[in-house]
Amino acid sequence: MLELSGLTIRAGDTALVENLSLDLATGRLTCLIGPSGCGKSSVVKWLSGVLAPELSAEGRVRMDGVTLTLPHPAIAYQPQQDTLFPWLTIEENAALGLEIRGAARAAARGRVRALFPAFGLQGHYHSFPDQLSGGMRQRAAFLRTMVQNAPVLLLDEPFSALDAVTRLRMQDWLTARLAADPRAVLMVTHDLFEATQIADRVLVMGRRPGRIVADMAIPTPRNDRTEASLAETRSMLRSLLLEDTP
Amino acid sequence: MTFLRQIWPALMLVSAFLGGWEAYVTVTGASPLILPAPSDVLNGLRVERDEIARHAAATVGVAAVGFSLSVAVAALMSVALHFAGWLRRGMMPLLVASQTVPIVALAPLMVLWFGFGLLPKVLLVILVTFFPMVVSLMAGYAALPRAYRDQLVSMGAGRWTVFRRATLPSARGHFFAGLRISATYAIVATIFAEYAGARRGLGIYILTAKNNFRADLVLSAVVVSALLTLTLLALIQAADRLTGRRYRRAADA
Repeated sequence: MLELSGLTIRAGDTALVENLSLDLATGRLTCLIGPSGCGKSSVVKWLSGVLAPELSAEGRVRMDGVTLTLPHPAIAYQPQQDTLFPWLTIEENAALGLEIRGAARAAARGRVRALFPAFGLQGHYHSFPDQLSGGMRQRAAFLRTMVQNAPVLLLDEPFSALDAVTRLRMQDWLTARLAADPRAVLMVTHDLFEATQIADRVLVMGRRPGRIVADMAIPTPRNDRTEASLAETRSMLRSLLLEDTP
Repeated sequence: MTFLRQIWPALMLVSAFLGGWEAYVTVTGASPLILPAPSDVLNGLRVERDEIARHAAATVGVAAVGFSLSVAVAALMSVALHFAGWLRRGMMPLLVASQTVPIVALAPLMVLWFGFGLLPKVLLVILVTFFPMVVSLMAGYAALPRAYRDQLVSMGAGRWTVFRRATLPSARGHFFAGLRISATYAIVATIFAEYAGARRGLGIYILTAKNNFRADLVLSAVVVSALLTLTLLALIQAADRLTGRRYRRAADA
């Protein structure tokens, strides 16, 4: 269980995020949704230890009661932009996190290779990122994030660059992957359809200064979710988002 | 075939230029002391080939030492400037100022201070060629996408790991661009250093030929100097192609 409390992020004297608290539980996918500019990416960046240097922040993160210093190996971050390095093969890219955390090259590559089939990448050890489709690149990025075995995953709009069909496929793929390998996931998105489709819980962030304005559980099991069963949740979310937009 | 298609415009232009020049000299009967015809230059090259080769070898030696050291100096300096902000702010104006010093003024002084040996020439070559490489490398380091850095830092990477894993590989294209610019100056700078004082080298050969009113031989040496520069550029191109298959993807992607 990860608990974030009292997070305030400032740009000079202006508060971008004010006194924000949230918690993440293992095996649950929490979506953080909000209008652009509300600071949702900044929250995730702060948790990853990569907040832009011109911003200042204070807040506390605890995992099972122990305070963490950031960046922390228990938290893996996947930035919005596809950051597979073009000069590394998929295998080298995927092993990057392990190697930086000190794993021997051969051991890291071995662990990565073992996961290639589960990520639909078999046969592409030596491919370069530009040889893969958008969906495959995204799965390679997930492989790099998940192989680090961090109990907490922070995903910043992972599907925003994908076409509509690939995006739907990847949403299904990710939820299946997380069912097989449960983590505590915080996923930033600005798409309320996506959020209601795959999340166990949706946190709505309000406009500046950013704070959580609603916390909605989606109790329906993922496989039973239909347009009809989600309609009410979606219309509530929609009015929350619109209400908060001037 | 593609190679031919690439170079035929250059071949046509050069042929037209040389043909026009040759015709002009023939028609006007210009003195070879003032304007030797291309055929005279070629003839000079043929007659003097051993002498020119000896001097060219000396020039290549100095240029090789000077340019290699220059690449090393530029690489080390760019790393130091990248990691130390105060050093960068302090040094950049000085480096820019160093490029405003007229080599014409400096070359004889260098000979005065350091004699006729290798040192003054190597120093001049470094002075002339290191700057484009430093500037290109710095630009390359600065062009690292923020997200690449963030990705590595979130994995626990320190500054040096970020530099080694992402900054340096992504600056490769910039480095080669700077290297090509610098390489075009390397031979010329060496010749200039030799011109100010040397026992052997194309610079001293040109000086001697000029003093003997042998414009044809001056131009013969110029042709050799141009060929040397083109060879150096071809070597750099080959090094880039041979070592950089995976890095070119960054540019293509």
